[in-house]
Amino acid sequence: MKRPNRRTTHHHVEGRQRTIPLLIALLSALALVAGACGNDNKDAATDGGTTAATTPKYTPPAQDSDVKELNIFLIPSPSSTSIQSFIPAFEKETGIKVNFTETPYTEAHNKQLLSYKQKAGAYDIAQFDNTYLANFGVNQVMAPLDDYLANSPAYDTTDFSQGQLEYGKYKNTTYGLTLSTEPMIQWYRTDLLADAGLEPATTWDEYLANAEALKAAGKGGNVLGFGPGVTWWWMTLVWSFGGKLYDDNLKPQVTSDAVVKATEYLKKLLEAAPDGASSLDGDTSVAKFFSTDVGQMLNYSGYYGSVKDPATNPYIDKFETARMPMGETDITHLAGWNIGIPSDSKKQDAAWKFMEFVLGKSNAVDYLKSGAAAIGRKSITSNAELITTNPYLPLLDIPAESRIERYPQLKVWPDFQKAADEAVTPMLTGDVDIKTGLADLNTKLAGILAGENE
Amino acid sequence: MGLAIAPSKSARRARWVATGLTVPSWMLLLALFAIPIGIGIWLSFRNEALNSFAEPKFVGLDNYRKMTAEPKSTELIDAGITTVIIMGLGLAIQLPVGVGLAVLLNRRLRFSRWYRSALLIPMLLTPVAVGMMWRFMLDTDTGVINWLIERFGANGPDWLGSRWGARVAVVLVDSWQSIPFVMLLVLAGLAGIPDGPDEAARVDGATGWQIFRRITTPQLRPVLYVVLMIRIIDTFKLFDTIFILTKGGPGTATQTLAMYNYSLGFVLLKTSQAAAVGTVLAIITLPVYLLWQRASRAADA
Repeated sequence: MKRPNRRTTHHHVEGRQRTIPLLIALLSALALVAGACGNDNKDAATDGGTTAATTPKYTPPAQDSDVKELNIFLIPSPSSTSIQSFIPAFEKETGIKVNFTETPYTEAHNKQLLSYKQKAGAYDIAQFDNTYLANFGVNQVMAPLDDYLANSPAYDTTDFSQGQLEYGKYKNTTYGLTLSTEPMIQWYRTDLLADAGLEPATTWDEYLANAEALKAAGKGGNVLGFGPGVTWWWMTLVWSFGGKLYDDNLKPQVTSDAVVKATEYLKKLLEAAPDGASSLDGDTSVAKFFSTDVGQMLNYSGYYGSVKDPATNPYIDKFETARMPMGETDITHLAGWNIGIPSDSKKQDAAWKFMEFVLGKSNAVDYLKSGAAAIGRKSITSNAELITTNPYLPLLDIPAESRIERYPQLKVWPDFQKAADEAVTPMLTGDVDIKTGLADLNTKLAGILAGENE
Repeated sequence: MGLAIAPSKSARRARWVATGLTVPSWMLLLALFAIPIGIGIWLSFRNEALNSFAEPKFVGLDNYRKMTAEPKSTELIDAGITTVIIMGLGLAIQLPVGVGLAVLLNRRLRFSRWYRSALLIPMLLTPVAVGMMWRFMLDTDTGVINWLIERFGANGPDWLGSRWGARVAVVLVDSWQSIPFVMLLVLAGLAGIPDGPDEAARVDGATGWQIFRRITTPQLRPVLYVVLMIRIIDTFKLFDTIFILTKGGPGTATQTLAMYNYSLGFVLLKTSQAAAVGTVLAIITLPVYLLWQRASRAADA
């Protein structure tokens, strides 16, 4: 008798307890829906889209007259370590104290974006990836550096090729100095190629033939990032095969014959790669190349500094570098870090002084010797003494006839790359037919690129 | 008919003191859960994006509407299907193996305490470390697993580079880590089952399988429901293992709803859209949570 009563009472109380929050939730939902219906959001950029056209012309904030310290945002890398090594000398010379913070790559740009949105002037100098240049440029979160560059004999822009000077520009305005010059180059194992009677490739046909010959000999034919981040290699091949990702009107062009050929070629390279290579990204492909018997690799020159340690690289004396093989079009895929002055900094002149000090021509040799990935100054790439220890340096001197390509300077680039990354690897593994996959990708990219001008 | 007795003054004071003592806990819960959840829901009705410098606005249900339109609807459905596949495969392994191990250890074999301790080790490791360890072991070219398979004259699969290989790899690694949890809960359930019915059935000539199926399993059912619900909720949240093993690839083969939402929020930096997806995910898992609560009550009873 007791039990049903107790349960009934319990349910009754429980029912009441449930009803109140339910009512509150219902009322809140109603309020939200009413708000949504009443909201005139015709003007709302629902993606949070930015409008370059409405962005006011950049005017720097009032500058501090007496600068006593600078705050630098760095991202862990050989370049960052090298910058830090110059701090004591700069402090001694100028009396300005330099504080720095290092934030891992995965969080670095999110942290910077948050800081720039707050306009708190937290950082006076910031290292960033070139993929963010367009976003930083369109939103003017980095100060233009062209006036500083034009009046700086110490930095000496004549020591750079025009193509390299373009690297830090977005729509003809320089927002970042080059912190490292990292073209995609060819890496090869001298012993494996010699054993197979092969020469380093100069064309894509030769590169594939080498890969297939090495694979037939029981070695890994080649590696690159076939998995996450495959877009970097895919677009390199697309450009080299004479194709393009989108046209001047931002219409995607990835169904063209050149793109199909480039993708088919990449698929053949995967077939000649070590088993399981379709899961490799940029870093793991380097680890694979320097820890197993793989004959060739396509990767950025910036890795050179990090693989020179005999303790971690058993093949230290058995690899060399060469220009990326040539395709229908002579292109150089250029990558590397940038460094700039956030526009909310109130110490921009002092910040420039520091950048000029570290990255100026007179310290360029010391900068490289302190472990940084090289900057492609003419005075560095032609320095005979440096070349003996860094034989890849001449590869940074990009020939004038080679068209420099870099990450597409699009605000929507993260969406573009994610879509391409997700589409390309399944085409390489054969899970998706190449023409079908590219057609689907083209449709998807059309939607993404349409958001560029929102 | 009992007399209604008013609580004494000291009892009332004790109740107030007790209520007062819970205030810090409520404040903590409010700060750590209620406020972030509230902010998340609030964000989902705006157009905040970390990489946008335009003034954010209230956009009503736009972020929710986007989920039902292309390309997001297809992406979400794909991620949902992947989540269900990984969940289904995982449960198909974790429940039978976990229950089997629990039944074995419940038999008080020699060294069973040692076995129990050893089997619990995977549960104590951090998922990131587990993911990295398994990533090395699953390497198609140099990993120990394919090396072992080759010793038996077969070719190992491309674990992390092929669509199904990667899904199976995620399921195996997740199962390796969660089977001890299943085993532990089932062991606790088995400990609460009286021996009498088993012994009576044995005297009546029932086989071990018949006893397990007809006597043990019905008594274990509430615990199994709890385990099932917890594992479903865990799979919905599964992120770190996938992030380390495959980053959601190849392509989108292992991009679960949690991975998809991570990409939306932290790779594409679409804060409000990610908040909307997160809110919907929470609503989707709510029935599972309610079922879990009911199963917990049944198990307690």
